[in-house]
Amino acid sequence: MNTTIKYLIASLLIIISLVLGFLYSGFYPIGADNKHNALTFWVLETLRTKSIARASKDIEVPSLEGSQLLLSGGADYNDMCAGCHLQPGQKESDMSIGLYPKPPNLTLAAKDHGHDHGEGAHDDPDVIASQQFWVIKHGIMASGMAAFGPTHDDERIWAMVAFLQKLPELTPAQYQIITARQ
Amino acid sequence: MLNKLSITLAGATFILMTSTVSAHSPEMHKKANAEKPKCEGMQNMDSAKMDMNDPIMQAMMAQCMGNDSHGQGDQGMGHKEIEKTKEDMNKKGEHKDSAHHG
Repeated sequence: MNTTIKYLIASLLIIISLVLGFLYSGFYPIGADNKHNALTFWVLETLRTKSIARASKDIEVPSLEGSQLLLSGGADYNDMCAGCHLQPGQKESDMSIGLYPKPPNLTLAAKDHGHDHGEGAHDDPDVIASQQFWVIKHGIMASGMAAFGPTHDDERIWAMVAFLQKLPELTPAQYQIITARQ
Repeated sequence: MLNKLSITLAGATFILMTSTVSAHSPEMHKKANAEKPKCEGMQNMDSAKMDMNDPIMQAMMAQCMGNDSHGQGDQGMGHKEIEKTKEDMNKKGEHKDSAHHG
């Protein structure tokens, strides 16, 4: 028994040493113009999806109808988000090409913009809205997605969420009119 | 000595609390050369296809009618165009209502 425990401890120490050695070696390619291997990608995607789904599940979604919400949220989206998440008629930008993970194209519907929102999320608009609210407010670490909660109150963030529900429907001309800040 | 320390601590706490980052005004996003809404496109829209209950349409009307009321008629819809659009939308609403009660 003592021998087994010693072997287990020794194995654990060796594994920890190898991991630390790899970390400190700097060999892992960290450039955003590289891609994670399939395992790392799966781990990080799963972590992100599950974390956002859990953190946002109790958020109560208010009414997102109303033109004033679109005007407020649209102007903020145009100023703070469109550079990465694009405008209607735009397929890419310097930021959308250069960031990794790639920011989702929010001019496309949630089910089409390229990443998972969790099981059943696409069937429930409130689930999508609550997740969008959480992500805008808290950001996603190590991803380029900033947390706007420290600088924008909940009302403004909900207005952005309201705008995101309508964004896939907008033509470029409609987008320009609605988001112009007067 | 204790009083001075208490006052210092209270003052430091107050300064820390008041220096907390707070939500900033939308005005901070406003750029000096911000683009005005290009409302001329709305003038060519078929008013029969406009849904007066659509928040997108309401938002566009608010932007373009607001432009005109601020005297920036070059970018906004003219007074006549606004009145015609309102008249068309009201007629459409009456038609829907009479159809419902018909």
